[in-house]
Amino acid sequence: MIEIRFHGRGGQGAVVASKILAEALFREGNFVQSFPAFGAERRGAPVAAFTRANTYPIRIRTHIYAPDHVVVLDASLLDTTDVTAGLKPGGWVVINTDRSPENIPAMRGFKVATVDAGAVALKHGLGVPTAPIVNTAILGAFAKATGKVGLEALRKAILDQVPYNARANAQACVDAYQCTIIIADRI
Amino acid sequence: MQRKSGPDGALPPGSITFSDMSWNRTGSWRYLKPKFVRKFSPCSESCPAGNDVEGFLFLAGEGRYEEALAKILQESPFPGVCGRVCCHPCESACNRRISDDAVSIQGIERFVSQFEPSRPPQPGEPREEKVAVVGSGPAGLSCAYHLRRLGYSVTVFEKEDVLGGMLCLGIPRYRLPRRVLNRDIDRILALGIGLETGRRVGKDMSWDELLAGRDAVFLAIGAHAHVGLKIEGESCQGIMPGTGFLKKVNLGLPAALGRRVAVIGGGNTAMDCARVALRLGSRPVVVYRRTREEMPAIEAEVQEALEEGIEFEWLTSPVRALVDDGRVAGLQCTRNRLADPDDSGRRRPEPVEASEFVLDADTVITAVGEAVDLAVLPHGLKVEKGVVWIDSWGRTSMERIWAGGDSGPDQRMVVHAIGAGKKAALSIHATLRGNDIEGIAEPLRIGSSGSFSMERYLQGEQGGAVPVREVVRPEQINLDYFEHVPRIVQPRRAPSDRVQGFEEVNGGYDKNDADLEAKRCFHCGTCDLCGNCWRFCPDLCIRSGDVPGMNLLDDFHCKGCGICAEECPRSAIVMEREL
Amino acid sequence: MKKVLMGDHAVSHAAMLSRVQVISAYPITPQTYVVEELAEACRDGRLKAKFVMVESEHSAMACIIGACAAGSRAFTATSSHGLALMHEMLHWASGARLPVVMANCNRALGPPWNILCDHSDSMSQRDTGWIQFYVESNQEALDTVIQAYRIAEKVLLPVMVNLDGFFLTHTAEVVDVPDQDQVDAYLPPFSLPYKLDVEDPHSFGAICLDDNFMALKHDMQAAMDLARDAALEADEAFAEIFGRKYGLLEPYRMDHADTVLVTNGTITGTAREVVDDLRRRGVSVGLLKVRMLRPFPFAPVRSLLGDRERIAVIDRSVSYGLAGGLACEIRSALYGHDHGRPRVFGYIAGLGGKDVVPSDIEEIVNRTLTYEQPPRDDIWIGAGT
Repeated sequence: MIEIRFHGRGGQGAVVASKILAEALFREGNFVQSFPAFGAERRGAPVAAFTRANTYPIRIRTHIYAPDHVVVLDASLLDTTDVTAGLKPGGWVVINTDRSPENIPAMRGFKVATVDAGAVALKHGLGVPTAPIVNTAILGAFAKATGKVGLEALRKAILDQVPYNARANAQACVDAYQCTIIIADRI
Repeated sequence: MQRKSGPDGALPPGSITFSDMSWNRTGSWRYLKPKFVRKFSPCSESCPAGNDVEGFLFLAGEGRYEEALAKILQESPFPGVCGRVCCHPCESACNRRISDDAVSIQGIERFVSQFEPSRPPQPGEPREEKVAVVGSGPAGLSCAYHLRRLGYSVTVFEKEDVLGGMLCLGIPRYRLPRRVLNRDIDRILALGIGLETGRRVGKDMSWDELLAGRDAVFLAIGAHAHVGLKIEGESCQGIMPGTGFLKKVNLGLPAALGRRVAVIGGGNTAMDCARVALRLGSRPVVVYRRTREEMPAIEAEVQEALEEGIEFEWLTSPVRALVDDGRVAGLQCTRNRLADPDDSGRRRPEPVEASEFVLDADTVITAVGEAVDLAVLPHGLKVEKGVVWIDSWGRTSMERIWAGGDSGPDQRMVVHAIGAGKKAALSIHATLRGNDIEGIAEPLRIGSSGSFSMERYLQGEQGGAVPVREVVRPEQINLDYFEHVPRIVQPRRAPSDRVQGFEEVNGGYDKNDADLEAKRCFHCGTCDLCGNCWRFCPDLCIRSGDVPGMNLLDDFHCKGCGICAEECPRSAIVMEREL
Repeated sequence: MKKVLMGDHAVSHAAMLSRVQVISAYPITPQTYVVEELAEACRDGRLKAKFVMVESEHSAMACIIGACAAGSRAFTATSSHGLALMHEMLHWASGARLPVVMANCNRALGPPWNILCDHSDSMSQRDTGWIQFYVESNQEALDTVIQAYRIAEKVLLPVMVNLDGFFLTHTAEVVDVPDQDQVDAYLPPFSLPYKLDVEDPHSFGAICLDDNFMALKHDMQAAMDLARDAALEADEAFAEIFGRKYGLLEPYRMDHADTVLVTNGTITGTAREVVDDLRRRGVSVGLLKVRMLRPFPFAPVRSLLGDRERIAVIDRSVSYGLAGGLACEIRSALYGHDHGRPRVFGYIAGLGGKDVVPSDIEEIVNRTLTYEQPPRDDIWIGAGT
């Protein structure tokens, strides 16, 4: 069983990201679950979403309290949210940021990767400079850092699940995969 | 108790019936029963000519214009005239006013008047008696028209060379085009009416001469005598009576107007004079002793005069004409204030001290009223308050002589004159037949205003709902079933355009607007098969019948709940006590 | 075909596959996606059905009652306050013996305001004459809606399919979506013995006072009895075509279990994990999932639980002043079975979206094993601040 938590802001697409990841993992033969943090949240507020995958049917129906990996769609959340809460030791923290690696706070005990998903998204015409749509790009970085999902499965999941600009989104995912920066791959 | 079991005797799934309840009759405990009735609408009651307003609006709303026109012609021979110049008391009485605005009855009448009637008016079975009508104004021609339809031979005597009286000589053509008037008059004459024009009874021929060989005379000579201002200097040049002025213009004779014309008065004649003067190139000012609110002129006339830029001096009375070289050179006036109401119910004007001023004027037109020329009346005819005395059926103090219109005590409006002529016709008919007019008229009455239906006299009661001699009051209308729909305003030519000449000001409705406006009618007191009673009846007792406009009641199952009457939008159902 | 679907969409797929003809619904979280997709499907032609917009859930139910009475297969979905607002019309649907189907996305009732899962909405409607199912997964939600039409149309009673708000409605997981041909083979076109028809007029819902009212209500109760067999038949037939089968109750690892957990809804899935774990540790515990709550499967409950030592019932709602509703039903089924055995322990958990995690269920088992006799009142898990 693998459990992943997404942090984002309302409207940024964290829930869709968790669904696309589930779809990709399903295409690779897994049983999956994806769900938002239950409730309702206004645009811009911190939100979370979750993906579970296993080679056996998933019977557990609880929230995810101890994820294996964490994906952060908005680096500004690092200042306000404990994104590593409950994260299993050795887990990956994949962050969308335009900060250079030395400006990322140290996360003792975890592996860290960054990607400027905003720049990648804008290059593909996804969103506007103040609000780029990064949820597909950052999945490429997740694939690159963790190796838990294949890029091809992700690409197909995006083409299947994204209703508008699916090709640009798929290409953004591939591009982000290429320009992911691995800051710390050892604990 | 009825079993609700299925065909096989077993209970169905749920409560489902397999037979109806027709066996379950109301029995004897009902004590009220609905009755489909026809009541009078307030518009019809208030029409002095007795028009079946609701009836012709219904037909017009159905697009049956020829029938609508035929309906009007049952009561009045002047649809083209009344569609334009009537003071429309029907609209003042319209129940629709409690919802939004009165239906533009006049606008619909005008619209249908352009068609040909489905059944042209026909003379009645010929009778021996001969009747003379003196005066060819609306009263005289209306009387002649109805007498002819009653079968009498009629001769109209007119002192002028043209027919129509005030309709022709008094009303300007921009309100009533001559072709419209002639169309109505031609339709009357087509019934076969004798004409003697250019002879003035009482002057060119004697009343005895007229009465010889005739069984009745209707005297409708109008009110054409000048009423002066009774001020100093009034007899000088440049001061003229309004009716004389309008007559000249209508006959195409030159009217010597100056540049600044003061029109004295606040009635329709004053409005006509001022607007005609404007069209002849003068600058008129209307001088009226009270305020705009008290003006007796039709409101629309005042409005149109204002739009055309005519000036008004309200609360102003002339006191002296300033004369220069025998010609009027100005008008000394005083300002008024309004004191308590006088006998007419209007607030009495009284002069404000030291408020006199000079009004610039080189022509003065007086339009403060017209009087009956008493000199030409038959010797010994009773006169009261300056007009011919008549009873409620137009009978004068002399045998064989009836009177009405402006020469009688009626209101001096076209529609009142039409009504007076019609009333005299029925009265003459009753007398000549040796019948009691009240007995004849009673079943013909439309409410309590004195109007009556000639259609009902000539054709008998129409089938359908039971007539009830009651006028629908506004509170009897169920407004829940009527949407607010504003009255459609008839198009009028722009003021700057219309003052250029004597083209008609009002454009009238097109077909679309006429249909929409006619459909605004509530049809007070007359079933229009809206289906509300059928829809609401809890016992499915109401069926639409074979007779158009008529519903039928299933007597055996009605329990007298009264919902149908309550929900009838137009008060055409009454609950009747059963014994 | 397998797809990753949210529970709401599993339900809307099921409605479409059932070829519903009239849908009327009023949106409410967490049901919204159900009607959103159905409305879109009606608009774009994927579904040949009439979607009727209404101003309330009361009207939505009234609308599908009318549609069904006229002979259409009709569907609605609601939740929480929406279901409560339908209450009057729920009686009408069952009393008129109309086989409508409704998905209820279980959600707490406020106040305090809450949009998350518990069962107080549907448990409050147990007496309305509706057949009730509680499902554990999105697959089961889809399958049960399809089965529901077969059952409803057989016994002429309405069916409510309950799925846990968010835990299913908003959770995407793998669902095997059946082919239309297979569903058509399983679900024949709908017909009613008597329907609104101008060619064959009857009065429907006509007054019955002391003559036939009780007889018709007795028929309803008899139809409820038949619904158990109808549900089993529907389940068997479903298994033949689709290879999936659920039963009215599902015993899980109950062989030789002295203690049995009784659950419904999504707590069941988590409880399976706990039972597996405890079994590995030598605890003699099993699990009984209650899928059908109305009609209540008395006989199988009695035979499955009658000879156990201890029963721990987890309720996601409370009948205030009494106990958890499911616990009461289990006790009633076991009453007089054997002097004081089995002992039934009632637990209240997961109200208003409170997560019920494996450690909670383990605590429930531990407490059940610790007490000699059940305490007089239910034990609340997770109520501490």
